This record gives sequence, structure tokens and C-alpha cells, in this order.
Amino acid sequence: MTSFSRRQVLAGAAATAGSFALPHIARAQNAGGRVVVIGGGFGGATAARYIRQFDPSIEVTLVERDATYVTCPFSNYVLGGFRSIESITHRRDPLQERYGIKLVRAEATAIDTSARQVSLRTGSKLPYDRLVVAPGIELKYDGVPGWSEAAANSNMPHAWKAGPQTMLLRRQLEAMPDGGVVIVAPPANPFRCPPGPYERVSMIAWYLKNHKPKSKILILDAKDAFSKQGLFMGGWESQYPGMITWIAGKDGGKIESVDPKAMTVSTGFGTEKGAVINIIPPQTAGRIAINAGLAEPNGWCAVDPNSFASTKAPNVYVLGDASIAGAMPKSGTAANSQAKVVAANVVASLRGTTPPAAVYHNTCYSLVTPDYGISVSDTYRPSPKGVAVVPNSGGVSPVRADAVHRKAEAQYTMGWYAGIIADTFG
Amino acid sequence: MLRVQLPLLAASLAVLLAGNVAAQQRTTAISDVELAAQACNVCHGNASYVSPTMPRIRGNDATTLYTALIELKTDKRQATIMNRIAKGYSDEQLRALADYLSKN
Repeated sequence: MTSFSRRQVLAGAAATAGSFALPHIARAQNAGGRVVVIGGGFGGATAARYIRQFDPSIEVTLVERDATYVTCPFSNYVLGGFRSIESITHRRDPLQERYGIKLVRAEATAIDTSARQVSLRTGSKLPYDRLVVAPGIELKYDGVPGWSEAAANSNMPHAWKAGPQTMLLRRQLEAMPDGGVVIVAPPANPFRCPPGPYERVSMIAWYLKNHKPKSKILILDAKDAFSKQGLFMGGWESQYPGMITWIAGKDGGKIESVDPKAMTVSTGFGTEKGAVINIIPPQTAGRIAINAGLAEPNGWCAVDPNSFASTKAPNVYVLGDASIAGAMPKSGTAANSQAKVVAANVVASLRGTTPPAAVYHNTCYSLVTPDYGISVSDTYRPSPKGVAVVPNSGGVSPVRADAVHRKAEAQYTMGWYAGIIADTFG
Repeated sequence: MLRVQLPLLAASLAVLLAGNVAAQQRTTAISDVELAAQACNVCHGNASYVSPTMPRIRGNDATTLYTALIELKTDKRQATIMNRIAKGYSDEQLRALADYLSKN
């Protein structure tokens, strides 16, 4: 409670200093305050939208490099062959048209947290009273010996940022012979979308079962356990018997090097050849956050669990995959939820009011087949140890459930996607 | 004519601008329940988006919503993730959410 009060005083003081620092004209034009949001994914777009919902007098500028957003959620269904890439590609125009958010299509290259301005690659600078940083992840191409960005773009895709990489992996699955081995190599924690690699395996299995049923999938994992493990493995056993082998890190799953020319992967236990090899590399917060000095030595950004305010710079919030969010996974729903808390805190600090108590939510649906859904869903509150699950709540789908239950969760998976797209992009 | 119009125009403009800012700028704090209720939107939609898949929240009265949330929390009503989510809130928090969602 003491630190909470101190935070309020500091936020109020910063807001006051901010408005006095502005020239008279600028104050008149931006009486509600100026917010810049870097990154137009689930986190950044939701933050921009909810700041305007909570207080439409605030001028919000959303800086985003790419013209459209291809969601990582549902990109596994493109691999499974029952969703098109177009159906997971979204425009951000409604944010401008319906909510009056200024969209700036450019790459943010630097943040000056003292002068409170963001530099763009175009050369122009955007001043801010509050800054929201939601840059997602950077892939560590040097995190797997022998692998590289060039290898990822030719024959060992990551497909961990959806778009051309998704289609590259899809084409490789289509081109492989029946009876080939698909190798999927997930990284150690933490990384974007903890259940994602295992849903991906499920969706590749769905495609192979229907088109190349003699094929196998080998998961070479850096970890000894994974998200929704019991549910995934139960689903694989019933839906894809004999097709999928998972090797834990301790049993030789951890990759030591890859050879893109030979299409082989080496572990401490031997060398495996793949017809298709999907390397999901280690990750850090997006480059802009690291360059701006917002990240810890481990590559991720520490934040106040009450507000997702950066612990490194005043007037700056970091949310989504780039942040260290305690018990929350790096997921689209988590970013959407954090963004609402950030929006409330940005508005409260600009208006000099007390922010509401933070509460966070995450749901990650995964499909084992198009009619077989599983989920993890949790509610979180700030705690002295960071964002923590509310005791005796949340959890995963029941291990024993009938086909009706699994089908209902598959239908809710579709409903969740439509909902989060509407909630994020308007 | 011109001498009359210009000050009038300036005055109207000033009133208009001041009126705009005064009307738009938020003066009240964001309450705990207002923030908490936004979590529902991600699946259930909001005033401008009605989900074709998810059970509808809006349009229900507070008692109906509160009863549903308590039954989900205590597993008297079997659903999927809502049984897990409802357990994340006290009965008082669920009542405040039900009240808010019945009006907003």
C-alpha cells in the first residue's frame, strides 16, 4: 500500500511537470495529453483503443512498421490447412476511423526518455507525455548454432512471426514426401506463446494424417515439461496414435547445432534428418525496447505489476511479450489484458486520478484437431513477487472430458479469435 | 459587418473548443469495476461487437448475471473456462461486475 501511494504521488508530479513543460500552443492543442504507442499488435493496439475509450481527449499516436497484422494465433491453422492466411490478416484502419487514433506507419528506431520523444526511421520525431512500448519479440538467430536468418528464409523456417514464414513452412509440408519426418524444435522458457509449439505439432499432425499418413513428427525440446502437456499428450494419443514423439531436453531433446544444407539437427544424443525442420529459436524483447535501455540483461523488460510501468524509465509502460509479467504467459490475450490496465494507468496519471486496482486475465485456447479444443485460463493480481495467479482459481481443461466438451472448446476457440480481433482492432 | 462578425466568430470558436475539451476530457477516476469489466470484452464482445459464438452478457439484468457468475464459481453450472475464471473473483467483486455489466 505504501509503495502504491508513492507511485501515485510520483505519477501526479510527472503529469504536472509534463504539462508545464509544453509550449502554450501545444498545450491548447493537446489539452488531454499526448500518448505514443510503439507497436500495433494485440498489446499496443488494445492500449491505444482503450486509452481513447477511457478518455477521448487524449491524443494517441500508434506507430507501426507493417501495413497489416498477421496474427500468430491461428497461424497454426494455416499449417493445418483449414484457415487461409488472408483470414488471419487484419487492417488497423478502424482504430483511426472509429477511435480517432493517429496511425503512423513507420519504424520506431530510438526512444529518448529524458526529452520524451520517439525517433522514427523517416527522421521525424514524436514527442510524448506518456509512452507505451509493445514491440513484441526479437528472434535470436544466433541462439541455435548453425542456424541463421538466411536459413530461416530458405529451408529451416521459424514461422514464429506469422506471415511469409508461415507460408514457407506450409509449402514445405505440402512438398514433403509421405513417410518423411517433420522436426519441430521449441526453445527453453520464456518464449512467445508457451502452448504454441505443441498446438503447431497437433496441426501439422492433422495435415499429415489427412494427406501423408505414413509421416512422423519428432519434437526435440529444450525443456523437460511444457504447457498443457497432459492434455496435448492425451490428445495426440487418441487422435494421432504413433505419429508424434516428444523428446525432453534431459533425454537428448536439446539441440546443439543444425546443418541447413544437410537438413539435419544434432543433439547430445545423435543427429536426426528431417524432411521439414521448424526451428523455434530463443527470443528477447523487441529491439527498440533493448536499444532504449528498457530491458534487463536477460533481454526482457521489468515492470511494476500494478501498472506495467517500466522500472527503467519514467512515463513509459512496457507490455505484452516484451515484458516480464510474472506468472502471465506471453500471449495475445495476456497482452490485450495488460493493455487495458496500462490504458487505465495512463489515463489516471494524465488526469491526476487514482488508478483502479489491477486485475489481469489470460486464456490460451489450443486445437488438437479442428473439433478438439483445450484451454488454460487464469485470473491474476499484482503481488510482492510480481503478477500472480489468484489462488484457487483458473487452470486447464479437464484431463478427462467427452468429445462434446472438446468440441465446445474448439467452437469457443473460434469465438475467442473473433472477439479478440474486434476488441483489439475495433 | 466584418467588424461585428470577426469577434463573434472568435468567441464562438473559443466556446466551441472549450466546450469540446470540457465535454471530452474525463473528470472521474476509472473505478475498479470499470477496469475489471473490460476483461469480458475479449471473448464476449462489447457495445459495438456482438459475438455469434459466446454467451451474451449485455441485455441481462444484474440478478441474472450475478446468479450465473455464482453458479459458475461454485460449479453448480457447468461450462468450460468460465468455471475457472469466476473462481478468480470474490462474491462482492462478482456482484459489482454484474451490476456494471447490466448497465454498460
